[in-house]
Amino acid sequence: METLQYLGQGFGVALSPNNLITALAGTTLGTIVGLLPGLGPINGVALLIPVAFALGLPPETALILLASVYLGCEYGGRISSILLNIPGEASAVMTTLDGYPLARQGKGGIALSISAWSSFIGGMIATIGVVAFAPLLASWAVSFGPAEYFMLMVFAIVCLAGMAGDKPVKTAIAVLIGLLLSCVGIDANSGVYRFTFGSLGLSDGIQFVVLVLGLFSISEILMLLERTHHGQTAVKASGRMLFNFKEGASVFATNLRSGLLGFIFGILPGAGATLASAVAYMSEKRIAGSDGRFGDGDLRGLAAPETANSASACGSMVPMLTLGIPGSGTTAVMLGALTLYNITPGPLLFQNQPEIVWGLIASLFVANVILIIMNIPMINVFTRILSVPNWTLVPAIAIITSIGVYAVHATTFDLFLMTAIGVFGYVLRKLDFPLSALLLGFILGGMMESNLRRALSISDGNLGILWNSPITLGLWVLVVFMVALPFWRAYRGRRAVPLPDA
Amino acid sequence: MLYHRLFAGCMLLACIGLGITAWGYHAPYSYEPVGPRAYPLMLLMLLGAGALLLVFKPDLETGGETEPKIVPEMLRKILICLALLLALAALFERVGFIVTAALFGFGMARLFGGRWLPSAVLALVLALGLYFLFDRILDVPLPMGVLAALEN
Repeated sequence: METLQYLGQGFGVALSPNNLITALAGTTLGTIVGLLPGLGPINGVALLIPVAFALGLPPETALILLASVYLGCEYGGRISSILLNIPGEASAVMTTLDGYPLARQGKGGIALSISAWSSFIGGMIATIGVVAFAPLLASWAVSFGPAEYFMLMVFAIVCLAGMAGDKPVKTAIAVLIGLLLSCVGIDANSGVYRFTFGSLGLSDGIQFVVLVLGLFSISEILMLLERTHHGQTAVKASGRMLFNFKEGASVFATNLRSGLLGFIFGILPGAGATLASAVAYMSEKRIAGSDGRFGDGDLRGLAAPETANSASACGSMVPMLTLGIPGSGTTAVMLGALTLYNITPGPLLFQNQPEIVWGLIASLFVANVILIIMNIPMINVFTRILSVPNWTLVPAIAIITSIGVYAVHATTFDLFLMTAIGVFGYVLRKLDFPLSALLLGFILGGMMESNLRRALSISDGNLGILWNSPITLGLWVLVVFMVALPFWRAYRGRRAVPLPDA
Repeated sequence: MLYHRLFAGCMLLACIGLGITAWGYHAPYSYEPVGPRAYPLMLLMLLGAGALLLVFKPDLETGGETEPKIVPEMLRKILICLALLLALAALFERVGFIVTAALFGFGMARLFGGRWLPSAVLALVLALGLYFLFDRILDVPLPMGVLAALEN
C-alpha cells in the first residue's frame, strides 16, 4: 500500500505542467533523433545532458527528459526499421523481419500502430514490474556491503560477455577496455595520477559525455561516409493507419508473454533489449508453429520483439535505480547523468529521494501514453524527416555533437579527445567489437574499483571477504555458471547439428 | 584476418606499455591495503590475455568473412573528415564558434556530396542558428573568438 502511495506522489511529480511539457518535448525530440541516421538513443540522451544541465532543470525534470527521449528514440528507430528496413540499432533487427514485409504489403500504418501498441503494453507490464519489484530489491540491497557490490558488478560484466552469444571474447575485451579507461585520471583514494601522461586535460579523467559522443556519434559519422547517398526513400505508410480490434486481439497473448520475458531479461544486468527481442521472436515463432507466417509479415512476429524490447528497456531501470548497476547502454548514460547531479543511485535513493525515483517511474507511464497518442496522427510528418539527405544532416549532427562536448568543461582538449575516441570507436566497430559493452565497462569501472578497495580496507587486505558471506558465495556460483555458458554452448554447437534458422 | 591480428597485436603491446607505466604508481602515504596499482594491473593482465588469444586465433569469433576492406577512396574521405574534426577542435576557441562551425559545416557538407551553393547556405544557417539556439536560448556559452568585437 505504501508503494501505491509513493506512486501517487510520483504521478504528482510527473503530471506537473512543467514536467508534462518536458515529457512531450522529450518524446518528440527523441522520435526525431531515433529516426535520423547517426543518432540513436545512447548519443541522443548523452547530447541532452549538457543542455539539461545548462537549463538548470531540477534533477527529476532532467531525468524525465532523458527517459522520455529514450522512449521516443525507441519509437523513432521503429519507424526506420519498418518503413526503411534499416534497424537503427541491434535491438531493432528483429522488428525489420516482419515489419518491413508488412510495409511492403501496404500495411505500413497498421504495422506502425500495432508496434506502438505492443511497445506500450510491454512498457506497462515492465513498469508494473518495476513498481512491484524495485522497492523489494532496494530494501534487500540495503544490506549489501562493498564486497557484495563488487561481486555483483563482476557478475554483471560476466553476464554481459556470457550472454553476448556469438562473441564472448570480444565483448569481454570491450568491457575491459572500458574498465581501463575509467582508471584514467587522478586516483581518488591516493591522489596518484594514472595514465594521464602529464596531460592536464586528462587529470580528472575522461568525461563520460566525451566518451559517449566520440564513441557513438563520431564513429557513426565515419561509418556514414561509406554511404553518402542522397536521402532515403521510405515505403509510404498509406491506407488504414490504426489496427482494428481483431488484429489487436490476435497479438494480445503474444504481447503478454513477450512483455514478461522482456522484463526478466531487462532486470538481468547486461542481457538487455537485443537478447530479449531475439528470444521473444524465436519463442513466438515456435509457439505459432506451422500456422504462422513469420518472416513475411506476421503481426505476431512484429508484436513479439517490440513488446519485449520496450519491456526490457523499462526493466533495466530496476537494477539501475536499486543497485546503481545499469543493464543497458542507455541506462548507463542515465546513470552518468545522475552522478553529474550528485545523485548516487542505489537502495538508499528510494529512502532519501523518493520523488526522483517515483517521478521517473510515473513519467515512464506518461511518456508511453504520450507516444501512443502522438505518433499515430504524426506518422506522415515523421516519415518526411527520413528524406533529408545526408549532406545536410551530418554537418548538423557533427556541430551539435561538438557543442555538447565543449559544453562539459569548456576546453578544446575535449574536442581533440572526442576525435581520437571516435577513430578508436570506428576501428573497434569495423572489427566487430560491441561498443555498448565498452560503455558499460566505463560506467561500472569507477564503482567497481572503489568497492573492491573499500571491501579490502574493511578486511585489512584479506581477500577472504570476497567469498565469505552467503550473498557473495551465491554470486560466485552465478559468475562461474556464466563463464561456463559460452564454453558449454560451443561444445554443444560442435556436437549437435546446427539448428535451422535459429 | 590480418587486421584482426594486427589490432590484437597493437593491443597487446599497449597493455605491456601501460603495464610498465602502471608499475610505477605508488602512493606516498597509504591509508588502505590495496593502493592505486593493483586494480589497473589486474585489468591489463586480463586484457593482455584476451589480446594474446586473438593474436593466435584471430578468426575465433568472426565467422570467417567479416574482414573489413580498405578502399583508397574511403581512406581519403576518412582522412579529410578527421582533418576537418581536428581543425574544428583547433579553431573552436581561437577563431570562435560561428566562423569555425561555418567552415567546418561547409567542408562536411561538401564531403557528403552537397553542391557548392547549398552547402555554403547550409553552413551559414547552421552556424548562426545553432549559436543562437545554444548560446542565447539554452544558455550553453560558446566562444565568440574573432567576432567578439561585434558582441553588443
